[in-house]
Amino acid sequence: MTRTAESGMLVAAAGVAAFGVTLVILAGGQTIDSRIGLTFAVMVAAFGTVHMAIRRWAPSASTVILPPAALLTAISLAEIHRLDPVRAGLQQWWLLIAAGMTVALLFFLHRRGTATIRRYRYLYLLTGLILLLLPLLPSTGPLPVRGLEVNGSRLWLVVDLGITEIRFQPGEIVKLLMVLFLAGYLAERQSALAERPRQLGPFKFPEPRQLFPVVAVWAVSLVVLVVQRDLGASALLFGAFIGMIYAATGRPTYLLIGAVLTASAGYGAYRLFDHVERRFLAWIQPFQNFEDAGYQVAQAWFGMGTGSLAGSGIGLGRPDLIPNAATDFIYAAVAEELGFAGSLAILAGFALLIGVGFGIALRCRDRFRKLTAAGLTWVLGLQAFLIIGGVLRLVPLTGITLPFMSYGGSSLVGNFLLLGLLARISHEEPA
Amino acid sequence: MNRPTRRLAAAVLIGFALLGLMTTWVQVVAADTYRLDPRNARFNLTQIGKERGLIVSADSVVLAQSDPDPATTGSFIRSYPTGPVFANVVGYSSLLFGEQGLERAYSDDLRSRRDLTISDLLSVILGRDLRPLNLQLTLTDSLQRIAFEALGGQAGSVVALDPTTGAILAMVSTPSYDPNLLVGVDAAAHWQTLLADPGRPLADRATRELYPPGSTFKTVVSAAAFETGLANPESTFPDEASFQLPGSTATVDNAGGTNCSNGVTTSLLNAFVRSCNATFARLAIAVGAEPIGQVAEGLGFNQELPFTWTVAESAFLTDELSADLAALGQSGIGERDVRATPLQMALVAGAVANQGVVMSPYLVGRTFDADGAEVDTSELAIFGTAFTPETAALLTQMMERVVTEGTGRQAAVPGVRVAGKTGTATGVEGRPHAWFIGFAPVEAPTIAVAVFVEAGGSAGESASGGAVAAPIASQVISGWLNR
Repeated sequence: MTRTAESGMLVAAAGVAAFGVTLVILAGGQTIDSRIGLTFAVMVAAFGTVHMAIRRWAPSASTVILPPAALLTAISLAEIHRLDPVRAGLQQWWLLIAAGMTVALLFFLHRRGTATIRRYRYLYLLTGLILLLLPLLPSTGPLPVRGLEVNGSRLWLVVDLGITEIRFQPGEIVKLLMVLFLAGYLAERQSALAERPRQLGPFKFPEPRQLFPVVAVWAVSLVVLVVQRDLGASALLFGAFIGMIYAATGRPTYLLIGAVLTASAGYGAYRLFDHVERRFLAWIQPFQNFEDAGYQVAQAWFGMGTGSLAGSGIGLGRPDLIPNAATDFIYAAVAEELGFAGSLAILAGFALLIGVGFGIALRCRDRFRKLTAAGLTWVLGLQAFLIIGGVLRLVPLTGITLPFMSYGGSSLVGNFLLLGLLARISHEEPA
Repeated sequence: MNRPTRRLAAAVLIGFALLGLMTTWVQVVAADTYRLDPRNARFNLTQIGKERGLIVSADSVVLAQSDPDPATTGSFIRSYPTGPVFANVVGYSSLLFGEQGLERAYSDDLRSRRDLTISDLLSVILGRDLRPLNLQLTLTDSLQRIAFEALGGQAGSVVALDPTTGAILAMVSTPSYDPNLLVGVDAAAHWQTLLADPGRPLADRATRELYPPGSTFKTVVSAAAFETGLANPESTFPDEASFQLPGSTATVDNAGGTNCSNGVTTSLLNAFVRSCNATFARLAIAVGAEPIGQVAEGLGFNQELPFTWTVAESAFLTDELSADLAALGQSGIGERDVRATPLQMALVAGAVANQGVVMSPYLVGRTFDADGAEVDTSELAIFGTAFTPETAALLTQMMERVVTEGTGRQAAVPGVRVAGKTGTATGVEGRPHAWFIGFAPVEAPTIAVAVFVEAGGSAGESASGGAVAAPIASQVISGWLNR
């Protein structure tokens, strides 16, 4: 696909967003106003600047990265507009900020490339740890930066700018930093981790000191789980790590260890935290616990079932009956109003993006770039799978965002930067 | 190291395939389960103002209809022209309080198919009719009104059915309520008033409330005695005013504390006609719990009756009574461990009228579409056989004498042979429940009826089945036969 074709698809995605907002306005019985043009303009501005930055600073990058992300963003902008016009306005600001940061990233990398990233891997680990711990700051006090607890999980950071305050989930950025650290670390230690000189019964193990980072990241995930009580971020971080170490070594033993550790941590969380137990009930028996724990999932299923094949039409369903429809349950909201067709469009969009991402990783000759591309794509796929699977009851519900779709600035920024990195890597290793 | 990366990619894409399959399940395969779940407000919200089908009586009186809403074009308001008379049968379809009665049981037939779902669009393309279906009941408006008015504001129930088919001809529960109040403005306030009413107007006394059937249960004990060959109407028993229950200090006494006959012996026929409790307590113990339970279960006790909605399960606690003879004696006169709905007791009368065969009761005669073309007719179903035609004949003989010369004389209808049995059961605070079950005409029965007046009705403590319930049965039977 040519660059020009790509730009055409981005404009088409902007058109989808504007058309969706038009339908929402008409379904609500309102008169057409500037919001339609504004949505179109913001979409074109955001994806257009990233597109131009790629043209200028990463011209050999894959052309299939931006279009699926733009489609997902477009559908989500229309749906968030339908659920909460105020939030839709904020989301558009975040979209511009995310695009701006991605442009900055592409500019920063354009001279010396991703090799510079590799150099600072331990800085990422440190920054990641600090960011993870920041929400534990006192929620009141003189500091301009404060922690905040929402729905039993302490994963929010509030930055007080005097005129207004910005809420941010550092976990969305930490996930990128972790991938970069691990890619750098594993590219270096790959052979040591793949060797297994130690033997215990029928199992062979690498040297214990080589295993140290494995245990360390598991410990960090546990801290996230226990201190912040955030099941989703914890599962994502640990899943990212296990996936990447497997990609680096090709040893299934790590997957086994990961599964055992995940299961034991999950069981511990189930016993320790009420809100984890509630989520378990919501997973196993949402309809029997309709009055409390299962309400959200049951409402989502009622909505999706009512939406059926073609959906109610955007603005004509009742996704507002689902608690947190604009964030964790955006998939169910779209499924209800756009129907099975809309759900499949989302799944196809993600599958395409993930396929492209892994394709880039497979093409890479450089080990670091390969691991980075694979890690970023894996994290993106895992995150989308965990939250959509939570809504569909394939896995327990974890409160993480659906990339490019859930309302929330940190998620948008994090995933845009992820796209920027993928684009840069594909530019450095052209097909 | 491309191999593990490929595997990761495969794992994620398999994960997304699973998401696709799961979405297919929720939105396509099982979509209707979730769409129509009663807790899913979305479906009800789409039904606001939609047209629903007619419900008409067997004599073509409209019981429920959808009228065009004068305020909103294309919108409809549900109304119930007969108000409280059919409330327990027709029920209501209310946005706030859901559905009840036939409105609930036949909701799927009565609702409009114009839902704009894909399957509806397909139906339009295939030329299917999306207009709601209509119901014609087996109940007649004329008989329902006679029964409703015969109860005269007393709490109670009348159930009349055709013993040869099981078709319900009238089914009244009082005090009733006006279903129109639950669909209009101020519905919530009316609902609260109905809930707070001590007369419990929302309770369906015909099918969903259980009462001791009193002496009407003597028909079941007699049937068991005939079936086992232990007695016939001419069998004699010691005549006593009071029967000492075995292993207990309690007694079972005749009404008024008098003898049943000459003070020496009484025939079973005489004891039945005069409803002597002492004799039936003795008889029940002699027959035993098992045979009585067998006949009772053949009539529908101890199980869920096949019906349009879930009915209360009438009970005869066979196992407990096998071990407790004193309780068995008391249960022989329809007290202690016996409970029944008026519908169940109408089936008992119907079984006697239909040579021991119990027909499954039903309310809807046929469904027809908007053009009046028949869509479905009810098929008759035999529920079971409770006893032999010989036993039925003996019971008929005894029950006819109850009306000609016994406790049920007020059930008589001039020029018609009526058979029946009265019951006066433990009620509320000394005010007994009054019962009558019967059928007519004896030579070729076309109606079987159960009348129940709660807590003596307006007669209060002096009430009896013969004085309070039997006259109502007489009005219902003559109303049916002279229609």
